[in-house]
Amino acid sequence: MSASSFRIAVYIALGLCALGLLWRLSAWLRVRIGPDARAIPFHRRLASALHGAFSFAFSRRLPGVLKAFLLDVLLQRRLFAEAKVRWLGHLLILLGFTALLLMHALAALLTQKLFKGYQPTLDPYLFLRNVFGAMAVAGIVLVIAGRRRAQRVAPTAHRLGDRVFVALLSIVMVSGFLLEAQKIASPAAFQRMVDEYFGEDISPEDLSALKAAWAVDYGVAFEDAAADPDPALLETGRELHKDACASCHSLPTSAFVSYPVSRVMGPAVRPLDDVDAAKWLWYLHVFACLLGLAVLPFTRLFHAISDPVSLLVNGAASSRPLSDAGRASRRALAIDACVRCGLCDTRCSVAPIARFMNNASLLPSHKLLSTFRFAREGRGRLRDGARYDRIAEGAFLCSSCGRCTERCPVGLGLDDLWTAQRDDLAAAGHPAAAKWVQSRTASEWADLLPAPPGEGPAVAPLSSDRRTFSPCVQCQTCTNVCPVVAHTAGAGDGVDLTPQKVMNLLRLGMVDLALGSRMVWDCATCYQCQEHCPEGIRVTDVMLELRQSAYRRLATVRDRRRPE
Amino acid sequence: MKYAMFVGCTIPARLPAYETSTRAVLARLGVELVDLPFACCGNTVRGLDQDAYVFASARNLALADRAGLDVLTPCKCCFGNLRHALRFLSQDAGLRARIGRALESEGLALPEKVQVHHLLSVLFHEVGVQAIAAAVTAPRTGLKVAAHYGCHALRPSKVTQFDNPLAPTLFETLVRATGATAVDWPRRLDCCGDPLHDANPPLAGRLTQAKLDDARQNGADVLATACPYCQLRFADAQAGRTDPLPTILFPQLLGLAMGLHPGRLGLPG
Ligand code: SF4
Ligand code: SF4
Ligand code: SF4
Ligand code: SF4
Repeated sequence: MSASSFRIAVYIALGLCALGLLWRLSAWLRVRIGPDARAIPFHRRLASALHGAFSFAFSRRLPGVLKAFLLDVLLQRRLFAEAKVRWLGHLLILLGFTALLLMHALAALLTQKLFKGYQPTLDPYLFLRNVFGAMAVAGIVLVIAGRRRAQRVAPTAHRLGDRVFVALLSIVMVSGFLLEAQKIASPAAFQRMVDEYFGEDISPEDLSALKAAWAVDYGVAFEDAAADPDPALLETGRELHKDACASCHSLPTSAFVSYPVSRVMGPAVRPLDDVDAAKWLWYLHVFACLLGLAVLPFTRLFHAISDPVSLLVNGAASSRPLSDAGRASRRALAIDACVRCGLCDTRCSVAPIARFMNNASLLPSHKLLSTFRFAREGRGRLRDGARYDRIAEGAFLCSSCGRCTERCPVGLGLDDLWTAQRDDLAAAGHPAAAKWVQSRTASEWADLLPAPPGEGPAVAPLSSDRRTFSPCVQCQTCTNVCPVVAHTAGAGDGVDLTPQKVMNLLRLGMVDLALGSRMVWDCATCYQCQEHCPEGIRVTDVMLELRQSAYRRLATVRDRRRPE
Repeated sequence: MKYAMFVGCTIPARLPAYETSTRAVLARLGVELVDLPFACCGNTVRGLDQDAYVFASARNLALADRAGLDVLTPCKCCFGNLRHALRFLSQDAGLRARIGRALESEGLALPEKVQVHHLLSVLFHEVGVQAIAAAVTAPRTGLKVAAHYGCHALRPSKVTQFDNPLAPTLFETLVRATGATAVDWPRRLDCCGDPLHDANPPLAGRLTQAKLDDARQNGADVLATACPYCQLRFADAQAGRTDPLPTILFPQLLGLAMGLHPGRLGLPG
């Protein structure tokens, strides 16, 4: 590839990257999460963002935020406390990748200007490139291994772009090492350098002396290399090398990764030379780099931008509460700032319930993504989405313990997002079960919620066993002590039955009529009825079990529209 | 006296002062608390999925059991849920088998010996009223306190075994140990309305208001609670009122009487 076409490729990648960035950054002002956010137009969010950025830049909170950035984002102190292996992996990738980027990829801009006589094949640069590369590769391995382990506790959510960065980085690293190994051992590369340096000015004797030296000292896999070259020839070759080559070429053993790789490749380098492998590996290496640059805004690497911004916003929010517009933007930003580390999931109070119910939508990292998808997909598609039932289940089973917000290394305001998500779901026809039940009368529900086959003592041991309720003498004691009955002001409250009537429905075998009743769902679980029942009937326990039966059956109702 | 501290979800998130004051008072009274990796007691699925609820509770109980500790919780709803779970597990062999299998997949075993206690029970039965009275150095003499029992500690008494469900005296006795006066108020055993608050706020509000009015009418200076939900419900219901009936968490009242600094009890000052 010529220098100019290479330059064009770089510009194209940079341009795509810039466009992508613009798109991703504008999402922080475009994406609307929560009914309150939908009422705020784009221009108000833009104004609030600019205002916030300016007032913050001149406030005194900046040092504190920089410190948080250093400790939380760069050094990942919370990851350190939770998962040492992944912490080490993250740090290794961060250091190795950044160092390679600055020293190697941007050599023309930086290293060459800063260090006179910079040559990638010269120590310490040769050695350092291998150090940094090895760090990045080790980091990738550790991060993947650590994630695997964490996944066993709770499966962290991921987005399409999450794995792209690691995949491209792996390609860049592996192709880089292979390329270097191939060049170390390649007779063709040797020949090219000789041609470039000497041109025609080298005698065949000198050439074979130099080849002997490079075969022994540099491990070039010449086809005709003698296993045991003539010491005089070797001496001549080494002299020549000192004059001509040594100023640019340290011994390849400094490349402590690539050199052993080249030994493993052995004689295979010659056929690889025949197909111009070094060139293709270089293309692969550079192409993966440029592709990474072009799609950067859509990969996990984007968190290098979104996380600092998120921390800045937190810093601003801690001095003065955010405006409505600011809060709306912060929610959208959270989706991008999440690094899917899964720390929230491992500490989530309802994670055991998520595992037991086999519904990952309960886990915060998943909720974050479903919140975003909801905002993107809009409400139209939700009418009968079984998927959204699962998501709503996750949203409403959250115990609001706040542990996720407390743990998140990026400091995302997750509690606010969960409230917004619940409001969104409720507005779209997926409210909490207790609210949904209120949309119809008990007899309407009785028609809609027939018993699914196989419902028996295993799932409803009390209400399916006559012994539970047959002793009821309909004395009304339960009703008389019930505070919900006592405080019902009339039809406006919607409370329809009384505990005694619920018991009677069970006695009459009309359990379906009780399932969707307001008495069952508005029971305060105060256990007055159960405590006072002269027949020892577990009235409250039955109420709770009826709700559970109703909840199971509600999952079979797909169409949430009210009958016209 | 050593317990696994089950603080639950709501206290750390919305009422951290309850945890602070509980720890401060218990430490002074020689009760040692151990922290285990507990999660939700299952309250959020209690009325939706029996197995999931029992599993959530059982997992916590299994952790305490493995550590050889009984559980102490300051939350009455956690208390009720954890105790009910033990009850359900002992009554239903099928449930027991299902939960046992799920626990096994997490490397845990069904809880066998663990007992669940509420903060007030531990203070009353384990620490003892005499020891508490002896620790009181700044008695709250003259303060008239309405003690709110809380449904899920008191009932169903067969499961909770907290006190006599119809005429309990435990909470008032503890209140008197602080030097304060326990007022008699007819609605002391009623529900605070909180469990109904999400589903039916107006009705829940009337339950709460009836209790507040009753406490006031019977001369209470302050309402004492020992559950985060009750405490928050009474406080929220009076938000914006210029003359709210003050509510205090029992360990805060006790801590003040024991001469602890208000700051250590999560109180202003
Ligand atoms: S607030 Fe909800 S999502 Fe977050 S850790 Fe607690 S239960 Fe899990
Ligand atoms: S929300 Fe925070 S803790 Fe959870 S996965 Fe994302 S970055 Fe990690
Ligand atoms: S108190 Fe018991 S026996 Fe009387 S009506 Fe209610 S459930 Fe039946
Ligand atoms: S437990 Fe429910 S039905 Fe029974 S008395 Fe209390 S509110 Fe009424």
